[in-house]
Amino acid sequence: MATMVPPIPTSDEKKNHDVKVDYSNLPCPIPFEELHREAMMSLKPELFEGCRFDFTKMLNHKFSLNHSVSMGPIEIPSQSAEVIKIPTSNYEFGATFIDHPRLVLLGRLLTDGRLTARLKYDMLENLTLKANAQLTSEPHMSQGMMNLDYKGKDFRTQFQLGNGALLGASYIQSVTNHLSLGGEVFWAGQHRKSGVGYAARYNTDKMVATGQVASTGMVLLSYVQKVSEKVSLATDLMCNYLSRDVTASFGYDYILRQCRLRGKVDSNGVCAAYLEERLNMGLNFILSAELDHKKKDYKFGFGLTVGE
Amino acid sequence: MSKNSSVLSRVTDSAVVRRTKSVAKDTTGVAKQLLRSTGKAAWIAGTSFLILVVPLIIAMDREQQINELESQQANILGTPSAHSIPLAN
Repeated sequence: MATMVPPIPTSDEKKNHDVKVDYSNLPCPIPFEELHREAMMSLKPELFEGCRFDFTKMLNHKFSLNHSVSMGPIEIPSQSAEVIKIPTSNYEFGATFIDHPRLVLLGRLLTDGRLTARLKYDMLENLTLKANAQLTSEPHMSQGMMNLDYKGKDFRTQFQLGNGALLGASYIQSVTNHLSLGGEVFWAGQHRKSGVGYAARYNTDKMVATGQVASTGMVLLSYVQKVSEKVSLATDLMCNYLSRDVTASFGYDYILRQCRLRGKVDSNGVCAAYLEERLNMGLNFILSAELDHKKKDYKFGFGLTVGE
Repeated sequence: MSKNSSVLSRVTDSAVVRRTKSVAKDTTGVAKQLLRSTGKAAWIAGTSFLILVVPLIIAMDREQQINELESQQANILGTPSAHSIPLAN
């Protein structure tokens, strides 16, 4: 729930930036996969249906356990336009080890047999190893992924290796103080697919604009306007050239003293809101609502988060 | 009687009456459709408003109240309080 709003610089600083760009001293860009993070923060809250309860217990300052219970209907993907839901309940047990800032280990185990493991390790000052694994009881659904990130002075690069012969690489470079450009290539050997993608990001203290195109036919544009330190408005446009579907959405993100409220409307006729209310230190109450007017699918959820 | 009915049938079968009837039918049909679609639009707008705007209004109102309370307390104490007041609600 960290605010992403950077401190607003004084006007003197701004003037200096405008006058001359020091190309040998550019800031480090944002990682390629987090290019749209401001827009995602306000437009893609973790909406859920039903009830959930999360409890986190710090055993010492490096190790914590968490228990989470969720109950509610889960949507099953189907061919027909109708929405099929089955009621489910789940318990999740997790353990997290954080040796700040070099090592993060995370494991999650669900009662339906899913296991998620995550590792992040700073091997050198600039080189980070990330690994993700997801094991399920169903055959051929388990996944593994390994990333190697290198952070330079004004660029970042990443190599990706996954199961199903997935290979990927991305590179992003700061061009001016505000603008960064990047590209990626990937090859999925199992599905015999490959592609390239390009992205651009322009950010100032008041706004962030990003654009991304990929050879898969995906075009994603987003724009975030920070109205004040507490309020940001976001809009995005996603087109898929091959499947011919276009979605535009608009959302707001209010960070108030005791709560954080996010809302969005999109062109599919879905409007959603997500409220995180801080009742007490380490006690959060969550309300989630999503109305799909077109499908007549209404989802409401509430939850409680204890400890953090 | 037969003359009467023939007059009646002549009246009901006349072009004017028939046209009036069809126009009336069309108007009621259009009005019904209009009412239904307006109702639907109102429903969508109303529920969306309830989800998107009402929580925002409540949250902002409370924020303002807290701010006011804080400034009041700062006035009374004569010192600007940097931290928020813990509210038990």
